[in-house]
Amino acid sequence: MLQKMYDWIDERVDITPLWRDIADHEVPEHVNPAHHFSAFVYCFGGLTFFVTVIQILSGMFLTMYYVPDIENAWKSVYYLQTEVAHGQIVRGMHHWGASVVIVMLFLHTLRVFFQGAYKKPRELNWMVGVLLFFCMLGLGFTGYLLPWDNKAYFATQVGLDIAGQVPFIGDWIKTLLAGDVSIVGAQTLTRFFAIHVFFLPGALFALMAVHFLLIRKQGISGPL
Amino acid sequence: MHKGKGMKFVGDSRISADTKPNIPKDYSEYPGRTEAFWPNFLLKEWLVGAVFLVGFLCLTVAHPSPLEGMADPTNAGYIPLPDWYFLFLYELLKYDFASGPYVLFGIIVIPGLAFGGLLLAPFLDRGPGRRPHQRPIAVGMMLLGVASVVWLTYESSSHVDWEARAEANKPEPTVQVDIDKDDPGYAVFQDNCTSCHGDDLQGGASAPSLVGIDHSADEIKKIAQEGTGDMPPGIFKGSDEELQQLADFIVSVNEQAK
Amino acid sequence: MSEKKQQVSRRQFLNYTLTGVGGFMAAGMLVPMLRMAVDPVLQPSAAGELVNVKIAVDDLTNEPQRVDWKIDQVDAWYESKVDKAAWVYKDDNGDVVALSPICKHLGCFVSWEGSEEFPDQFYCPCHGGRYTKDGVNVPHTPPNAPLDVYETKIKDGMLFLGEAKPQGEA
Repeated sequence: MLQKMYDWIDERVDITPLWRDIADHEVPEHVNPAHHFSAFVYCFGGLTFFVTVIQILSGMFLTMYYVPDIENAWKSVYYLQTEVAHGQIVRGMHHWGASVVIVMLFLHTLRVFFQGAYKKPRELNWMVGVLLFFCMLGLGFTGYLLPWDNKAYFATQVGLDIAGQVPFIGDWIKTLLAGDVSIVGAQTLTRFFAIHVFFLPGALFALMAVHFLLIRKQGISGPL
Repeated sequence: MHKGKGMKFVGDSRISADTKPNIPKDYSEYPGRTEAFWPNFLLKEWLVGAVFLVGFLCLTVAHPSPLEGMADPTNAGYIPLPDWYFLFLYELLKYDFASGPYVLFGIIVIPGLAFGGLLLAPFLDRGPGRRPHQRPIAVGMMLLGVASVVWLTYESSSHVDWEARAEANKPEPTVQVDIDKDDPGYAVFQDNCTSCHGDDLQGGASAPSLVGIDHSADEIKKIAQEGTGDMPPGIFKGSDEELQQLADFIVSVNEQAK
Repeated sequence: MSEKKQQVSRRQFLNYTLTGVGGFMAAGMLVPMLRMAVDPVLQPSAAGELVNVKIAVDDLTNEPQRVDWKIDQVDAWYESKVDKAAWVYKDDNGDVVALSPICKHLGCFVSWEGSEEFPDQFYCPCHGGRYTKDGVNVPHTPPNAPLDVYETKIKDGMLFLGEAKPQGEA
């Protein structure tokens, strides 16, 4: 039955090469922890991806209860945290996932760096990876404001003041991010929400696609 | 590759009608034992992922995500602190060489060099050797960078009393009490007090909450009749028996809240 | 590997295990999230309290009159006052009847004697739906059920109204 459905689709869409491209390749010995225990350092990239998936899913579910509005944002998070079954766990996954993903990214970056895996021909993939790191930091910064509690508000104010000290374009950057030259308020929250939920994840998906495509094209770097 | 006339397609599409066998890429240039990605290697990766997930879920259950009180821009005494992975930047700006007249050094030059160097690492470290000891400058710079980030983060966080901070910034305690609305005292309360103190003793614009107060029954009786603060005397209109019921009711609610 | 009639090949076994582990990870991630998402469905419906609508029972007549009142509505983190309305009259036995003014056809607001052509009937201006005085829909007009009826209670001569329920259930 399943086989017939697969054949029916495959005849029309020719999907076999697509999944074979992803699934059908050999993994060399030097990245396999079953042969060399030290190869577990190659897990950090995969774990980063896994936490990213957790972040995307938990974020999607959190928006069912969250409102990006200064009157209600905190109340909705408080309601989610105290009244909704498992709301605390899902928010916890998103909160701790944000920290864990930074740790995993950091370890993955260090692994690639100290193995010199960014050398020719993989320069582009390293740069895409560093941009992914920046994206993640941006997501962390914008996500920090969203619960609209005291620590979020004041940390964001500091962050925006730092941006405002950039010469020539500082005020411009600050206004663009905060929606107002001096007020950190209603417009700041909606802008940070938009950046956190649409713009940065969009960039993140595009960069991840390139990152993975390049890995499949170039193969994993050889043993030292 | 087969081209031009004689090609067979599925319908009028560009999907080829002849299925070619899919030959996986040759990885034989790698030394040692290779292994199929699907399913052998992926299973190992997912086992690691499953163990990781269990640990991660334990963390989320053991440590509920923190939420401080609602943002209050007038809270002048609040000491801002960024998320931990920005602490190193935050700490950097405390130093003389990165603040005041040299603030540009702190916010642009140093982070710019560090992150720019990270981004352009493949073009700065161009030698063919991949082993760390073959590229001492690059490795040295990275170690220096990591050490300074770790040290700055530690310096910044060691000055913070995290527990006191979490304690001081808890959201306002909303004590959950079950109010027994069948209590005769509640009926008296409804007749005399709800217009200011609310249906659930929660208080309102003109009167404080009656949950979490520390008065004896006799004191409550006195306040109900004679008023206190902004509360004028003579609000309670009822018999002495009702007054006693009211006072007992409010005391019983407050005992629950303790 | 030597047995010729092996039921499950090594590759198949690995595939099954892979599916199992993948399923475990997906479940671990999704169960809390799905439980959170379906939480409103699993909330017990709060039994509405009966509210004093500030009208004395003695003031009611056989003629339906419109009563308006407000209730406190708590919608998760949002609390608000919501307007409610009812058509209230005393039936032949002297019992109080409170009908919901919401037309069972498409939810418009019905009025008592809202059309001069149909005295002694509720009339819905949207599609000409009509109901008799006891709220039963007139055949061959769009509505297909009688008007909802409010729970009523009389205390100290005042009328208290609760939730509107379909007739026959209440």
